[in-house]
Amino acid sequence: MATNGKIRETALNTYIKEVGGAVAAQLEACTRCGICAEACHFYLATGKPEYTPIWKVELVKRLYEQRFTPLGRLKVALGLAKPVSEAELREWVEYDYHACTMCQRCSLVCPMGIQIGDLIHMARSGLQAAGLTPEDLQQALDNQLEIGSPLGVDDDTFDERMEWIQEDWEVDLPIDKPGAEALLVFSSIEIMKFPDNIAAIAKILDAGGIRWTMSREAREATNFGLYAGSDELETFIAQRVIGPAKRMGVKRVIVSECGHAYDSLRFRIASLMGETLPFEIVHITEVIGELLDSGRIKIKPGVLDEKVTFHDACKIQRRGGNFDQPRQVLKQLAGDQFVEMTPNREEAFCCGGGGGVIATKAADTVRRAAFTVKIDQVQKTGAKKVAMTCSNCRLQFLDCVDHFALDWEVLGIAQLVADNLVK
Amino acid sequence: MNWTDAMHFVRGPLFSAALLFFIFGMLYRLVTVIALGWKRDHAPAKSSKVVGGVLNVLRSAIIFPFVPRIREAANRNPITYLAGGIFHVGLFVVVMLGAAHVLAWESVLGFRWPTLPLPIIDFFAAISIIALIVLFYNRLSNPVLRLLTRTPDYINLLVVFLPFLTGFFMTHRLLLPYERIYTIHVLTVDILLIWIPLSRISHFMFYFITKPRHGARFAQRGAKP
Amino acid sequence: MFQNKDDTVYEVLQKRGVSRRDFLKIATITTAVLGLEYTQVGRVIAQLETKPRVPVIWLHFQDCTGCSEAITRSFNPGLASLILNDVSLDYHETLMAAAGHQAEAAKKAIMDANAGSYVLVVEGSIPTGFGMTSIGGRAADDILKEAAAGALAIIAVGNCATFGGIPAAKPNPTNAHGVWDLVKDKPIINVAGCPPIPEVMTNTIAHILVLGTLPELDALNRPKMFYAQTVHDRCVRRGFYDAGLFANSFGDDGYKAGYCLFKLGCKGPTTYNACASLKWNEGTSWPVQAGHPCLGCSEPGFWDAGGFYQGQSALIDVPGLTAAAGAAAVGIAAGVGTAAANAASKHRAEQATPSQVPADDKEKKS
Repeated sequence: MATNGKIRETALNTYIKEVGGAVAAQLEACTRCGICAEACHFYLATGKPEYTPIWKVELVKRLYEQRFTPLGRLKVALGLAKPVSEAELREWVEYDYHACTMCQRCSLVCPMGIQIGDLIHMARSGLQAAGLTPEDLQQALDNQLEIGSPLGVDDDTFDERMEWIQEDWEVDLPIDKPGAEALLVFSSIEIMKFPDNIAAIAKILDAGGIRWTMSREAREATNFGLYAGSDELETFIAQRVIGPAKRMGVKRVIVSECGHAYDSLRFRIASLMGETLPFEIVHITEVIGELLDSGRIKIKPGVLDEKVTFHDACKIQRRGGNFDQPRQVLKQLAGDQFVEMTPNREEAFCCGGGGGVIATKAADTVRRAAFTVKIDQVQKTGAKKVAMTCSNCRLQFLDCVDHFALDWEVLGIAQLVADNLVK
Repeated sequence: MNWTDAMHFVRGPLFSAALLFFIFGMLYRLVTVIALGWKRDHAPAKSSKVVGGVLNVLRSAIIFPFVPRIREAANRNPITYLAGGIFHVGLFVVVMLGAAHVLAWESVLGFRWPTLPLPIIDFFAAISIIALIVLFYNRLSNPVLRLLTRTPDYINLLVVFLPFLTGFFMTHRLLLPYERIYTIHVLTVDILLIWIPLSRISHFMFYFITKPRHGARFAQRGAKP
Repeated sequence: MFQNKDDTVYEVLQKRGVSRRDFLKIATITTAVLGLEYTQVGRVIAQLETKPRVPVIWLHFQDCTGCSEAITRSFNPGLASLILNDVSLDYHETLMAAAGHQAEAAKKAIMDANAGSYVLVVEGSIPTGFGMTSIGGRAADDILKEAAAGALAIIAVGNCATFGGIPAAKPNPTNAHGVWDLVKDKPIINVAGCPPIPEVMTNTIAHILVLGTLPELDALNRPKMFYAQTVHDRCVRRGFYDAGLFANSFGDDGYKAGYCLFKLGCKGPTTYNACASLKWNEGTSWPVQAGHPCLGCSEPGFWDAGGFYQGQSALIDVPGLTAAAGAAAVGIAAGVGTAAANAASKHRAEQATPSQVPADDKEKKS
């Protein structure tokens, strides 16, 4: 962590280091039209202009102009440029960490196709390196680096939890089983808060006849390095899954209902490590889809006789493309009672809890405010049941259902499938 | 120097110089951006990135100017969406299909293409001018845009506005005798050519990097860009 | 030629056997030709009866005599040419009978006798380069300045005398100039064109001769009554321009249908002249009507304003491929240079940011 006087220097150096062709092209392409604001649930819920997605990367943009463009350099030479100050870096912590889930909805409305979420990720990198990460997020990251889990799941806790789940839910949880074709990794939220999800996924995989295992070493797919914005730490943490998976020689790594872990492992890590991985990485939703399609598992049709709707998670649906499998499940379970929110699929609103926002206490107010957008959407469907494929979303839903005293039932797709398997 | 000499100067040596500066500046910008380095993507794609990139550019050119990608978001800020779209369509029609402009293109490129009648061009010029005024007003009134806008953004608007305005005056024989307003019109174009590489009006070049990239990324992830 | 300098026009005409009745007719036609109201006939008659006739001296420099050729074909007013040819023209190198030193002496005599009251007409551009055109051993600009000194006003006819014309086109080997570049202290009327419309020349001269005043002029000193509107404004093909109907090449269907010649290089939109309204050869036709795009001959520098068959909006002096490639190469080179500097600063930044991976783990992993 940087000490006081070095905060600015470290942040700026990190930005300079991180600027690549893609970042530069996107910063150059922005015409400051401001339409990204209209896609952002944080801006819509608060009406705060500073929450405009592209404004969240303003410091990066300014630094880029001052260090990498001739006109910017000229302005610096003439003393006309406003240098990025430490006070501003501190101000931007709110915009980058509290008010962005990096859901990439804004990139869809951007006329220039700028990946604003990625740019905000980069804006976080400098703040993180300079030690400006929100306290609890940094604490979680430190925990993960030291203990291996942001929620403090050390070896003993892990063993205890798994034993407890095996007994209470009557499932078999193979750990470090040799010869397995698939490695199943969970998020710490599931281990600590949604143990039933672990049991459910185990049931589904068993029913599908998949030879799977968990790993004591690679038990957590959670990656606070990604949240904090450090590519280096993200890679370091992901190695804990990638390394064992390589050694075990599995064909697939199945990521449980965890959004950011899927995003990181499936789409980011290979490039960060600069190599092609010898196994594929899939989300449990994809596995469920495959099993249903091939008929290896069957679910009871029409068991849900109440209206149910589906929440598209930013990392698993918009950024992961798994739109159809959960809908297939819900259509079978609920038939006509399955209703879509508008907008949905790629255009869906994020829950507001992703990107580490839910781990940041200081962001509670904006996080809950952002959820009001979701409340509107769900209420328009008339459904009281909301299903989703991401535990992080689920945590946010549960927190806000409680906070706003809503009479909704929050469901996980895997659990719905497991509960309604045809034996 | 009389007006006719001035006209020959802005159509001749000044234009030449501006065009050379434009070529120099744009390539300079492009090279510096590209040379910053690109990471290779090792993640397997769910669907073809090339197809996604190309389709996205095509859709953005043909569909999105008229049907926004996320209608609900565009509806919330219709001014930016509509005025921006109308301006770009108008710009294309006026600059690429106006008879006088095609002759100018021909003198640079060596070939020509069919043109549209003046009243149609005139209509598009008029709506583009209105769109630019609306965009200017929008920058002043919308709180988000007020926050985002810096002096260069206003200069951009002005530098694009002037050729439109002088061109419109010229075809309507307003304000000044023809050859004077024509001289000023070409002068504003020369200024525009010089200003583009120095400003964000150059976004049209980077568009061809960012837009396909957006399409490729969403295609890679199995989503519709 | 060489009449008594105090004679009035009427007196000169009388000597030539013109009756009072014909004189009144002539005065009436003159009034109409000058664009004056019918009520002004009395004023014109009085001018012609009482004011001494104004002598005209016509000088030639670098010219093709096309303007003189044109003016002798003036049809209307026959009167103006009558005045010009028979009444006032005291010195004209092409038309006069005298030659050599005799002619020069006569010119000198006229200038001396009418100092301050004669009209000087100039045809052709004036070379100012050393050792260029001289007449009787005297340099052209010298001759012009001498004649200009005693003139009441100077009328420059044709593009050469007004704006330099062909002789002044690039590279202008004789360093030729129009009159107004060289004479600054006399009223100058530019009757531009290559040649000017004959009626425009005669009417302008008649205006001074008859009314004794200069016509109203535009910014390029051209009489507004003839040069206030562009050829495009009055063009018979204008409707086709507005409708977007163009001839794309000589002889194509659009050309045969009489569509607009804009794309064939017509300079009508930037050319101020009366061709479209007065026409040529007794109102028979004019270039655009006859199927040829306007060349812009009444405008300065019309030889250097791009090709005659290149559109009026076309750019002059477009950089060639070599220049464009050069600019591109310089841009790329400068970009590569900057890129190297950028890479260096990125490298420095990378060195300056410490790794955050816990030290013990790092060792374990590697």
